[in-house]
Amino acid sequence: MDIINQVEQLLEQGKVDIFIGYKELDGHVIPHGFTKENLDELKDLKTGETRYSLEKMATHLAKKDKDLKIGIIARECNKRALNCLYTWNQLNPENMEIINVNCCPSRIKIHADCSYLEPKKSGKFKKEHGIEFNNDPEELMEKYDNNERFSRWMYEFNKCIKCYGCRNICPVCFCSDCSLEDPDLVETGDLPPDVPIFHLVRASHMAGRCIDCGLCEDACPAEIPLRLLYREINQIVSDVFDYQPGQNMEKSPFTVIGDKVTLEPKPMDTLL
Amino acid sequence: MNYKFVPSVCSYCGTGCGVLFEVIDGKINSTLPLKSHPVNKGKLCIKGWNLHEYINSFMRLKTPLIKKDGRFQKATWDETISHTAKNFTKIKDQFGPDSIGVLVSAKISNEENYLAQKFTRAVIGTNNVDHCARL
Ligand code: SF4
Ligand code: SF4
Ligand code: SF4
Ligand code: SF4
Repeated sequence: MDIINQVEQLLEQGKVDIFIGYKELDGHVIPHGFTKENLDELKDLKTGETRYSLEKMATHLAKKDKDLKIGIIARECNKRALNCLYTWNQLNPENMEIINVNCCPSRIKIHADCSYLEPKKSGKFKKEHGIEFNNDPEELMEKYDNNERFSRWMYEFNKCIKCYGCRNICPVCFCSDCSLEDPDLVETGDLPPDVPIFHLVRASHMAGRCIDCGLCEDACPAEIPLRLLYREINQIVSDVFDYQPGQNMEKSPFTVIGDKVTLEPKPMDTLL
Repeated sequence: MNYKFVPSVCSYCGTGCGVLFEVIDGKINSTLPLKSHPVNKGKLCIKGWNLHEYINSFMRLKTPLIKKDGRFQKATWDETISHTAKNFTKIKDQFGPDSIGVLVSAKISNEENYLAQKFTRAVIGTNNVDHCARL
């Protein structure tokens, strides 16, 4: 059964009140909420390369009406984000209906612009428009010593134009009071924002939470390799706690308050 | 519930980034970058990301204001347009068309800018028209 029929059934049988998918409008494929009242719009339902955080949009609707039954189209990254949002009580899994779409690369199915499937590689855009002073950030992590890596990261952070796009687009950034807007941590009116505090605050919050969708890096006008940063952070989380955010509904280790400290404090440069 | 996304163009500067307004039941809830837009390719600056805020701002002017008795007072469009026309004509008659200048803006559309320069040149009769991007 094709997706349009599946969505039509969900809406008609009342299994969902609204279905968030994509439709084409003037040549742009954009997210759209399909409802029972507008079933004729379903003919425009599209899936393809386009990727927005539909699950973040679902949280906006759930905030307006917590009992709303929401359906969404989900790729692998959307599913990981959903798991994460469930464990952080941002969405109720009982109110969600998911229709999976494939994002595996194949000849017949053009997959999303996603580097998750090929770990540890720069995305398409970065390859095409290699930034100055930048061969490949991953290469840098492997080849160079801590000092060189540190200065490289500082260089990257200094490019930040403080658009908050990385936070705004992130499916798992949902705090009503965001630390990045706390004037005690991040001075207001300064560009670039406090380096490296701004980026390291966000990176530490992404520990045990970032589901590696890459949307932040796509949205960063300064082309800062954010995904790599959060991947490195979550590599530590994985090594220490054996936890991979979004893989299932297991809660992040950082939501559990233990009774003893088992980690040795380490100087910052070994993490960078 | 009515949930849709409306593509538009950021009105904060002349770059013209493509945005998507997230609209919940007729009210704009947030702004997103339009990924397929050729200008910004899914990226925005901080102004674009917050584009919805001024639309919903309680401080937004919803009617024109005319200064009467030393303070601004609400007026209708008809009143305002005839008030403006009357005063422009008065200034033009007394000091000539070059005593008036018009400053247009990156925050309005090409068509509106075109109309503004047409109005300045053909109706007022001066070449004193400039753009805020040159300030
Ligand atoms: S990759 Fe970026 S946008 Fe995606 S979950 Fe991680 S921090 Fe958020
Ligand atoms: S950056 Fe941190 S505080 Fe801000 S929304 Fe994301 S997780 Fe919350
Ligand atoms: S998206 Fe990039 S430029 Fe914008 S705040 Fe985040 S790191 Fe800085
Ligand atoms: S998002 Fe920023 S750069 Fe783009 S048009 Fe708006 S103000 Fe200009």
